[in-house]
Amino acid sequence: MSITSDLIRGHTDTIILARLVDADNYGYEINKSIQQRTNGNYELKEATLYTAFRRLEEGGNIVSYWGDEQTGARRRYYKITDTGRETYHRLIGEWKSAKEMIDKLIETEKMEDKK
Amino acid sequence: MQDKLRRYVDNLFASTTPTRKSVELKEEMIQNLSDKYNDLLSEGKTDEAAYNIAVAGIGDVSDLLKELETDESSPVYVQDIEEMEKARRKSAMLTAIAIMMYIVSFVPVMILSMVDSPFQDVMGVPLMFIIIAAATGLLIYNNMTKPKYRKQRDTMVEEFREWQSDEKDRKQLRKAISSALWSIVLAAYFIISFTTFAWHITWIIFIIGAVVESLLNVIFALKKK
Repeated sequence: MSITSDLIRGHTDTIILARLVDADNYGYEINKSIQQRTNGNYELKEATLYTAFRRLEEGGNIVSYWGDEQTGARRRYYKITDTGRETYHRLIGEWKSAKEMIDKLIETEKMEDKK
Repeated sequence: MQDKLRRYVDNLFASTTPTRKSVELKEEMIQNLSDKYNDLLSEGKTDEAAYNIAVAGIGDVSDLLKELETDESSPVYVQDIEEMEKARRKSAMLTAIAIMMYIVSFVPVMILSMVDSPFQDVMGVPLMFIIIAAATGLLIYNNMTKPKYRKQRDTMVEEFREWQSDEKDRKQLRKAISSALWSIVLAAYFIISFTTFAWHITWIIFIIGAVVESLLNVIFALKKK
């Protein structure tokens, strides 16, 4: 789990951007959908989430606004910008080529038996 | 239990300067945490378990808070301080001139009453009023152009100070108008009384003064919203 987390951590920005591509969303919902997609195996720490929000906002990839719910709960929503969409596609491309490369690098000639 | 969550986050932020950004981040965190907490409850977790899971999910916020701190400490520019100092001196000068004009305003009346000239009554009083009006104008101008306390850091404390400075400006303006009003009233009382010798009725001027004063209060209260 922790090793997997380390591998995923480098892609926090991509993961968050992906959750915003379709619709604006707020912190907890974003994290919840991440959790659901991984069947509860992965969840961002709040600290990581907010740090990523700040970094993405400073880079002009997302903007934030306070929603005004009738229920009284004011949530801070995030919206992806055009720059954010470009960044998202670029990161996806980078990941795909990295994945291909890593797959080739970790393959061995004779397939070992898995026990 | 919601309060307990809020208290927990309050503690996390205890050492940070209450800036707009940090307060917003805190609110965002509390909101998200209580959403999570409520979700966990509806999944059938106990209060205690839900609280513990929510808090455990926060992780290490030290870097995040450090980032907040470094963000806000924008330096105060020396140039600004010099500008403020220059403005302060200008303001002191204007006030001094205005007060001097109030004092000197009686001089034309006195001089003209001593020399025996046909202009005695016609010139002295209007001249005095003109000087008083100019002095009041100066005071008001001074109050309007004085630079406001400008925000140096985007913090709540600074916002409060700015509000305080606005409030002080308003009070000073009000005081300046009031003092001008009463010197005019006093002067008018003596001048009209001496010229008409209607002492039995001229005290009405003070009542008029009081009415104007209360009207001013109303105007200021309305302006303040």
